[in-house]
Amino acid sequence: MSFTTLQTDWRASIERRLTHTRAFVDDTDPDALAVVLVSMGSLLAAFVGFLLASAWTAVPLGAFLIATGYGWARHQALLARAVTFAMTTVTLITLGLIVVFIFAESIPAFQYETTTVFGVSVPGFGMFAQARWDAVSEPVRYSLLPMIHGTVMVTTIATLVAAPLGVAAALFIAEIAPPRVRELVKPGIEILAGIPSIVYGFIGFTVINPWASGAFALNGGSTYLFVGMVVGLMALPTVVSVAEDALTSVPDVMKNGSLALGATDWQSMTSITLPAAFSGVSAAVLLGVGRAIGETMAATVMLAGVPRISEPLVNVFYGYETLTSLIARGYGSANGVHESALFAAGVVLFVTVLCLSIGSQYIEARMRRRLGGAE
Amino acid sequence: MSRVTQTALVRDDRTLYEAAAGLAVGLSGVAFVTGLAALLNIVAIDDPVAGLELSVLFGVVLLGLGATTVGFGVASRFDYVETGAQPSAGIVAAAAFTAIWLAVGAAVSGAAGLGTVGQLGVGVFLGAAAFATTAFPREDIGSTMPAGAVAVLCGLALVTGVVGPGWEQALAGYNATLFGDTVVPAVVLFASLVTGWSAAKAYGGFGARGRNVGAYVLTYLVVGSILAVLVGLVAFVTVRGLPGLFNGFSVGGAGLLSWPFLTNGAGLLADIAGVFPALLGTVWLVIGAVLFAVPTGVGAAVFLSEYAEQGRFTGAVEVATNGLWSTPSIVFGLFGAAFLIPRFGNQKSLIAGMLTLGFMLLPLVLITSREAILAVPDEYRDASAALGVSKWQTIRSVVLPAAIPGVTTGVILGVGRIAGETAPILLTMGGGVLPAKSAAPNVLGGFQLSASPPFVSNPALLEATSALPYQLYALITAGLSGNIQNPQEYAWGLALTLLLVVLVFYAIGIGTRYYFRRKLHQ
Repeated sequence: MSFTTLQTDWRASIERRLTHTRAFVDDTDPDALAVVLVSMGSLLAAFVGFLLASAWTAVPLGAFLIATGYGWARHQALLARAVTFAMTTVTLITLGLIVVFIFAESIPAFQYETTTVFGVSVPGFGMFAQARWDAVSEPVRYSLLPMIHGTVMVTTIATLVAAPLGVAAALFIAEIAPPRVRELVKPGIEILAGIPSIVYGFIGFTVINPWASGAFALNGGSTYLFVGMVVGLMALPTVVSVAEDALTSVPDVMKNGSLALGATDWQSMTSITLPAAFSGVSAAVLLGVGRAIGETMAATVMLAGVPRISEPLVNVFYGYETLTSLIARGYGSANGVHESALFAAGVVLFVTVLCLSIGSQYIEARMRRRLGGAE
Repeated sequence: MSRVTQTALVRDDRTLYEAAAGLAVGLSGVAFVTGLAALLNIVAIDDPVAGLELSVLFGVVLLGLGATTVGFGVASRFDYVETGAQPSAGIVAAAAFTAIWLAVGAAVSGAAGLGTVGQLGVGVFLGAAAFATTAFPREDIGSTMPAGAVAVLCGLALVTGVVGPGWEQALAGYNATLFGDTVVPAVVLFASLVTGWSAAKAYGGFGARGRNVGAYVLTYLVVGSILAVLVGLVAFVTVRGLPGLFNGFSVGGAGLLSWPFLTNGAGLLADIAGVFPALLGTVWLVIGAVLFAVPTGVGAAVFLSEYAEQGRFTGAVEVATNGLWSTPSIVFGLFGAAFLIPRFGNQKSLIAGMLTLGFMLLPLVLITSREAILAVPDEYRDASAALGVSKWQTIRSVVLPAAIPGVTTGVILGVGRIAGETAPILLTMGGGVLPAKSAAPNVLGGFQLSASPPFVSNPALLEATSALPYQLYALITAGLSGNIQNPQEYAWGLALTLLLVVLVFYAIGIGTRYYFRRKLHQ
């Protein structure tokens, strides 16, 4: 498409919008329109006021409440549409604000860790090019590598636990279990998702850590092995519920065809259901990985809290620090560049998990398309 | 779903074989459970059982299981019994046994003192042998021989006492030591799993049916262990927490009910330290988050499913919602600390915690509400429209009431989830380790009006407040000590209270779902 046609296209679309809007304005009761405009305008003003931390935020907020209250009594239909639209934008705004605020707070740390690579100075490169994190004694450096190593260790072990068990349990619920057993297992796994992570952490701290210390003759009881297993248990329900959704979304026609040919249940599962739902199941595992990466409290309570890379690299018997536990442990007492470095850890976490989430959504969307809109 | 039926033709000469295989599966199960008990220190591996040390007995059982497993394969291969064995055990089994034997070879040669090269050599040799044995002969040999050999090897090691009580092996460079107390149960768990699967295949007569049985045994075991972990966790916290929770509990007397753990603070004035301020903090936290997230989430779900046309905007909202759902809770905490705290008096406060948890609750409410609204049949909307009812009236009086069960369930489960969250409120709400009763938030009585901006204020909302999960974390970081009589008991009581609060939400949520579903199906 050439530039001019693109431009005219664009113009035409705007003109169409304008005519639409004009027609809408002409059709609508001017009183209703005024109320909605006042209500939405004051809501916007209140939001801006809050962003600027103005003490006057209460004024537009009050105006919004009054206008909405009046409009609710007189012009409910139009106002409801406007208000629900405003509510819809909240998720987008929240995500946008998270991005803006944690990135903004992390800038000083990225600047502090600027390193020159091939004559070009790259901000933040020093966080990944060396392995020293020390916020107190000279030289003060903020490398995230030890914590990334910890997160990778914990996440790997957690995935080894959660992925096979989760997929097996999802298969059980979706395909194998008799209805009665399913009614027992499904809520059971939901409840497992509800056990607070600090309770897991508490059990880990008071029971598992002392046990591991004795059972393997360790210095202290913090191990990536058992943190990973606990985190895997926590990520398990996510894997189960998403994978189960994927498995049940495979049309029955496909399974019945296989069974009618004389295949056993297991044959139908491995050669029809699992391949058809493969992308959905892998999306479930990705989401489980995301949960494991973001799990905070159990890691914070059970790990030693020393930013260090274990020796040798795969030593699962010692656990030092993950990205999440670094933030949880350090936030209250940190300030200046140190605090900013914690935000940088948050940025790494946020970006990684967001990529996993978007990736799994993409995979799921592709699977839906391939199964012919079977949702 | 079809259940494989067993015809009389297949059954005839196989009853004894099947019985033996069934027995082997059962024995493997018993060995697995006992091994688990030994791992959890419920029984010791040097306990005498029937004149033998438990670890030696384990060895005898594994030897027997291994030999029987091989026997099943041989009996089938030489046509003593008729089975449906296929030409090969398949690539999955071959890969699994290769990995197992590679690991076994490396571990055994490592313990025997061979270097890395030796370990690798032995491992690769045994792995290759296992691959050949699994992949090339007929299925009945391929899926029993390597499995039985694993069990026999493990059994021999235990019977001869090469590995047993008192055995230890330092892991060079890892600064850790393996002891018989953990290795013996681990070996038993692993070997019984392998023989259990193999015997289950034999029970099914190999072939498609055998694989079906083998896979089902493993799946049932997985699900059973998950449920066992769940029950074990809850039971463990309950047993440890009950003494603290019911400390000084009495019925009758001056008040009808006296429950000091839930109604006292932890100050010097209280004889029995309680968790009242944190409990009230959690209650207000949940109320605040619900007040923010539920109207917003339901409104957004209504807009997305009733008004908006599917397009770029709805797509973006969907991606953002799912992104928010999977955002780590600690990132929400950072966001709350950077965004909300400077706007509410520059200190950790109850309202900052409420809003942070509200942001976390929002995607949960939005996703479940949207599903519930989409599940309302279009016929309802069409019927309403055919009566000449306007769109908004239809939504208000037809769609929303029909969607309420789903929305309620989603909200309750979401609340259960955020009520136990620690990381966000750790960064935004804070509070004391052992708050006195006077530190409990007084939100309702705290509202003040003033003539200067911001006109409305509530000091209770702007103060650092404790909540159950935060207090548990604070107690742990304080090393489970404090100015109270029995900090350990107090902490377990606190953990049980938190668990109960969350489980009650889940129970109500799941109960509501069943109630409405049953009503729908009547």
